[in-house]
Amino acid sequence: MRDVSMGQYYPASSFVHRADPRFKLVILILYLVTVFFCDSFFSFGFMTLFVLITILLSRVPILKVLKSLRLIIVILVFTTVLMMVFYSDATAKPLAEWGIFHIYLNGIYAAIKLGWRLMLLVLMPTVLTLTSTPTELCDGLESLLTPLKVLHFPVHELALIMSIALRLIPSLIEETDKIVNAQRARGAAFESRNPFKKIKAMIPVLIPLFVSSFRRADELADAMDSRCYRGAKGRTRMKKLKAKFSDFVALLFWCAITVCILFLNYNWFGWAFIAAISL
Amino acid sequence: MIEVKNLSFTYSPKTPFTTQALFDVNLKIETGDFFGIIGSTGAGKSTLVSHFNALTKIQKHSGAIIIDDMDLSAKKVNLKKLRAKVGMVFQYPEHQLFADTVLKDVMFGPKNLGVSSAEAEQRARDAIALVGLDCKEIAERSPFELSGGQKRRVALAGVIAMHPEILVLDEPTAGLDPKGKREIMDLILRIKADCPTVVMISHNMDEIAEYCNKIAVLKHGRVMGVFSPRELFGSEELLSNCGVELPLVTELAVKLNALGVGVDKSVLTETELYEEIKKAVTENA
Amino acid sequence: MSFLQFNNVEYSYVGGDDELIQALKSVSFSIERGEFVALVGCNGSGKSTLARLCNGLLTPDSGEVLVDGKSTKEKSALFDIRKKIGVVFQNPDNQMVTTIVEDDVAFGPENLGLPPEQIRERVDWALRSVGMSEHATSGPFRLSGGQKQRVAIAGVLAIKPELMILDEATGMLDPNGRREVLDVVKKLNRDEGMAVIMITHFMEEAAAADRIIVLNNGSVVADGGKELFSTPEVFEAAGLDLPLYVRLARRLNDGGIGVGCPLTADEFAAAVAAISAKGGKK
Repeated sequence: MRDVSMGQYYPASSFVHRADPRFKLVILILYLVTVFFCDSFFSFGFMTLFVLITILLSRVPILKVLKSLRLIIVILVFTTVLMMVFYSDATAKPLAEWGIFHIYLNGIYAAIKLGWRLMLLVLMPTVLTLTSTPTELCDGLESLLTPLKVLHFPVHELALIMSIALRLIPSLIEETDKIVNAQRARGAAFESRNPFKKIKAMIPVLIPLFVSSFRRADELADAMDSRCYRGAKGRTRMKKLKAKFSDFVALLFWCAITVCILFLNYNWFGWAFIAAISL
Repeated sequence: MIEVKNLSFTYSPKTPFTTQALFDVNLKIETGDFFGIIGSTGAGKSTLVSHFNALTKIQKHSGAIIIDDMDLSAKKVNLKKLRAKVGMVFQYPEHQLFADTVLKDVMFGPKNLGVSSAEAEQRARDAIALVGLDCKEIAERSPFELSGGQKRRVALAGVIAMHPEILVLDEPTAGLDPKGKREIMDLILRIKADCPTVVMISHNMDEIAEYCNKIAVLKHGRVMGVFSPRELFGSEELLSNCGVELPLVTELAVKLNALGVGVDKSVLTETELYEEIKKAVTENA
Repeated sequence: MSFLQFNNVEYSYVGGDDELIQALKSVSFSIERGEFVALVGCNGSGKSTLARLCNGLLTPDSGEVLVDGKSTKEKSALFDIRKKIGVVFQNPDNQMVTTIVEDDVAFGPENLGLPPEQIRERVDWALRSVGMSEHATSGPFRLSGGQKQRVAIAGVLAIKPELMILDEATGMLDPNGRREVLDVVKKLNRDEGMAVIMITHFMEEAAAADRIIVLNNGSVVADGGKELFSTPEVFEAAGLDLPLYVRLARRLNDGGIGVGCPLTADEFAAAVAAISAKGGKK
């Protein structure tokens, strides 16, 4: 069975892999915001270029990254086509029309931009999950959320829950597999097309699964108690996330890209140029 | 009869995580056998037996399994018929109990086979009695209230009530104390009266030596051979070649031999070893 | 004063039929530092309840459990008690908190609030002690049962307890895994001087201990060294098997071949060899 706890992590030794997960998360957020600001084909091209550079730096085969698009390709094509055929522009003449569908040149542009934007939005999170383990992301998130502790937000507990979930999900999948097989051996049919029958057929799986999950939870709680666990109080960590110089450089770099996009979008280059001349 | 012909099996084929679990396995399990399958963890034992019930489908061009008149490599296999014929008891079978009463849980199997409610109930009551539980007392209780040993018996009853002709057991005594182990093994012998063929996976070499008449040794997905217990446990060379643990009796017999007490190393039970020691000592007299 | 002391401990819980089940009846015994004790009894004899009473996961209905003089009934003492007594449970899969071996071993020392360098040291030491250093960065799913249980032992070891309790820690393992765990435990007792309570129903395992406590129906029915094997009735009454060589020795003695009461398999073989050389006469 594929180890779920490793997510879709692609082990490799690269600059991107080694980067501090906190910085990766911040950069991702910055990136996502920036993509929403992108408006022109030029800005999309600009962003795509840097995404490609990141992928190359990460040493993850580009095909592997593109495969992640497979899942959303249907949504992507669907929305793009919808955008294209339902775009309406009162001022322009449609290029073609069938019944209620009108295709305008601007509509085609808008649709391509939409598709491109969606693609960009999916690509970078994929790169993140390919280059960081869920545990790293968990730690990164915990560290980033630390300021919320002031508001009594249970940051530590949340992080621990995520970590335990990552740890137990594969066990539960394995367990489900075992129970399903045991019940199939007793003649249970899970192949029924009737949804009611299907739900009914799941009962012999769900009940043992619940029972075993509770037992697991009990045992885990005992084991944690026995190992001196008493919440976040007085707890230290062995691995402290350490920001490296290169992490700051990467963050600065992406800030610069964001600024560039904003300039491009709002034609700040033009204004800056005019300002420079008039001085 | 189960005939396994050139069976191979690969997990997650055509992915980077592909692992071959079985390599060209050939076996013949005959009616009336108490057939042991041994091998270290990960040798492919469970993968092999899960084929017997079509829980794992035979992959394309990966051999065949014939159970009596059924060919499991065929496109369409009559699963109902197969699962009525081959009963499977997994490791820790008590973990599959789900119904609110013992009786309903045991009736689950027969009902799935399409047996009428009245007959399913009759079968369930017989099965509960066969596994040594008091049907009157226990039938309407929740299976979750029972003790560990009782739960396992109920789970066994659930399979027996399907009236299998072949019973496949995956470590039936795992986790039980010595008394519990003996009781379950006695129970399996009782079941064998009606269900002539028993296939048992076990890590407990003492049980294998005592109960099985044929033993297949699996190592890294390959069958190292099928032996009679005396053949296997009597030959240190074979045991170390196959990477098999010694049963306690064999271990002791080997120790005695090393100290010059000439006992037969192929003893299988405590009583046999006792007789051997007695013979060796008195012969010297 | 003894390190761990049970004074007339009683414990009951509510069973499946709403009836009160008395798991332990007036149990008293004490364990010293550095001892290697096997606690044996069949399923339902109260073994696991006893393990959970030692470090305050459960507290006695009456009587008291003292760890280094402190009662487990005092909530404020629990943290200290758990620092001194570590417990390894039966199912290796339900004891790991994280997805990476070394992170999991670090969980205990992290809870103690140690500085990171010291945690690192302890983790490396604990993994080395159980022979799992090379798996420090792997996930638990690539490990065998015996290896997982060794990781669990390392996780307890990293807290540096004075007593380690193994609650049927070998019950779900294959023979290889059982041996791995037993070897590690013996080594820890010998080299680190750590006291061990091994809860088990494998009598061959119990025979490795210096002292055996037999539990039957919630009561301690015998407590002593390997000489207990010379009074096998105790074990039989408790629903336990004797080690094979003890059973054989008894039968031989009854059959007129006097091999005495051997305490190990090797002693048995030697006794048989000696009598065989003499020609079967006493």
